[in-house]
Amino acid sequence: MNNLFSSIQIVQVYSLIKIGFLIIDFAFIIFLSVVIKQVHAMNTIVNDSSDSSIIRSMAFFLFIAAVSLFLTALVIL
Amino acid sequence: MPDIFIAEPKAEDTTAPEMPYVLEKQEGSDKPIPIIQPPINIRNSVRLFASFCKNPDGISFQSQEQGEKILLFLRRDFITNAKWILIGTTLAILPLFLIFSQQLFGNPLPFLSFKFYLLFLLFYYLFVTTYLYINFITWYYNVALITDRRVIDVDFASLVYKDIATTKLSLVQDISYAQVGVVRTFFDYGNILIQTAGSLDNFIFESAPEPENVVHIVEELIGKQNE
Repeated sequence: MNNLFSSIQIVQVYSLIKIGFLIIDFAFIIFLSVVIKQVHAMNTIVNDSSDSSIIRSMAFFLFIAAVSLFLTALVIL
Repeated sequence: MPDIFIAEPKAEDTTAPEMPYVLEKQEGSDKPIPIIQPPINIRNSVRLFASFCKNPDGISFQSQEQGEKILLFLRRDFITNAKWILIGTTLAILPLFLIFSQQLFGNPLPFLSFKFYLLFLLFYYLFVTTYLYINFITWYYNVALITDRRVIDVDFASLVYKDIATTKLSLVQDISYAQVGVVRTFFDYGNILIQTAGSLDNFIFESAPEPENVVHIVEELIGKQNE
């Protein structure tokens, strides 16, 4: 009985951590979409034809990495 | 008496005299306004981490007028990024200490599986990379431009604050710089103050590299404008 109770508690903590992780990751994805928008706006104001593509690609890379992490967490956790 | 030597008449010099500026007609006025030409026509490409570039190539800005040439491109000196680079590096190596301490003192959350730790670690490094990236782009896009017509100061802060100040070179009255402290003197950077006429706001280029050189260039430009 005692073992069952502690198992239920572990499952609850496990679920809470999973939900917490997903919420934080989702908020981070929204933040990164704001970053992409801002980089675009900054690039419109000052444009460096040689390096701006690297800067913009990096923002997209971070966004894609965050989305991949969210989907991975959703599936395997 | 016949002439022994008859000098050939000098051919008239038909080439236009060298002008440090060109005359351009502006809208709303009949008189042409002198527009200063850049002193050197060699264009330099701006490197990713450059903070000072004369006659930059490949740089443009939103309100750039037709024919307006950028003479000087400035960012804060790269050494001013040392703080966030140091914080980012510390944050990047922090998990290694945590893994080491976990091996010494045991796992505080034994019910969490390896995949949980892996995902946390990946998220953590994504966060650190984003922190570094945001600081870098804030530095990268905070620029000061001096063109043959204007002075432009572009300020971004924390991704949400944006301030673009512009003034004509003819309105610039004085330029000075302050280089206070050992670090600033050693790395040769300082604050440049551009005073404008009347009630217009003054410009401050913070932590600009080679301030003496910048002041010299702008003073030359102001002199040419006033000629």
